[in-house]
Amino acid sequence: MAELFETINWGLIAPIIVIQLILMVTALIDWARTENTNGPKMMWLFIILLLNIIGPILYFIFGRRND
Amino acid sequence: MRQWITVFNREMLEYWRNFKWIWVPVIFILLGVTDPLSTYYLPQIIESVGGLPEDATFDIPTPPPADVLMMSLSQYSQLGVLVVALMSMGLISGERKSGAAELVLVKPIRYSTYVTAKWAATSVLVLLSLIVGLLASWYYTNLLFGEIAFGDLLLTLLFYSLWLFYVVSISILLNTMFKTPGLVGFLTILLVILTSIVTNIFDHILDWSPAQLSSYINIVLTEGAIPNELWGTTVVTVLLIVGLLTLSIYTFRAREMA
Repeated sequence: MAELFETINWGLIAPIIVIQLILMVTALIDWARTENTNGPKMMWLFIILLLNIIGPILYFIFGRRND
Repeated sequence: MRQWITVFNREMLEYWRNFKWIWVPVIFILLGVTDPLSTYYLPQIIESVGGLPEDATFDIPTPPPADVLMMSLSQYSQLGVLVVALMSMGLISGERKSGAAELVLVKPIRYSTYVTAKWAATSVLVLLSLIVGLLASWYYTNLLFGEIAFGDLLLTLLFYSLWLFYVVSISILLNTMFKTPGLVGFLTILLVILTSIVTNIFDHILDWSPAQLSSYINIVLTEGAIPNELWGTTVVTVLLIVGLLTLSIYTFRAREMA
């Protein structure tokens, strides 16, 4: 496993990590600003934080309540 | 025309407020980038996952750059379409459900203005997302696999965006028909899949079906020339989009008058 980490060119992977962070941070900002979400609010926090990439997307599509 | 721009701008503002301008492009970038990267690192991934006999050797040929770009396109055809359908499912149906549509339509705004402005706003969002996504995919493909001419990328973008516009049009039509966003999203995906299935079955007749777009783009990328069928497909797709939009305006008018 350690070898694997050395062979990976981090210059290639870094942009993806950054993009993923952007996604997560925007989801968190939105989560903090809304009062109501579809379903328990705390549940969405865990979904955003724990599920990589998919979590924030799920939140934006299903978690937001727009009214 | 001024009304149209107002509705369009309102829609754009809405997309900023619900962060669509951030998450939709980001998803398209991620979708575009995963395939070049995972294909490039496939040998390492297989090695690290393990479970193979000690002396097993794999010769995984490096795919040509055009194939890698096509992989990204097929990601967009699957997950990209899913994202477009889910993101646009509440566009009109949600507003009608919550009553926001009434607030807009008590003003002397034409139904056609409302529908086409919504379509245009979503299409702009989808187009820009596709542009950044394909640029990212193109960048990684160039870096890891080999050169693809920028002109080829532009052609890919130009023709492939038609397919996504077609998806948006289907979604808009269903939006005017039903008031439940979930149903709209589901039926949109169903209709898009149906388009592909029907095209696959009647392959020999439906040369100009929009579902053929990506296979013609493949020809453009590998052979460097635009096949004649692609122009026919383009015309048919544009006509379908116009037809779907006209139908949406009619159903929307009928539903709102009732």
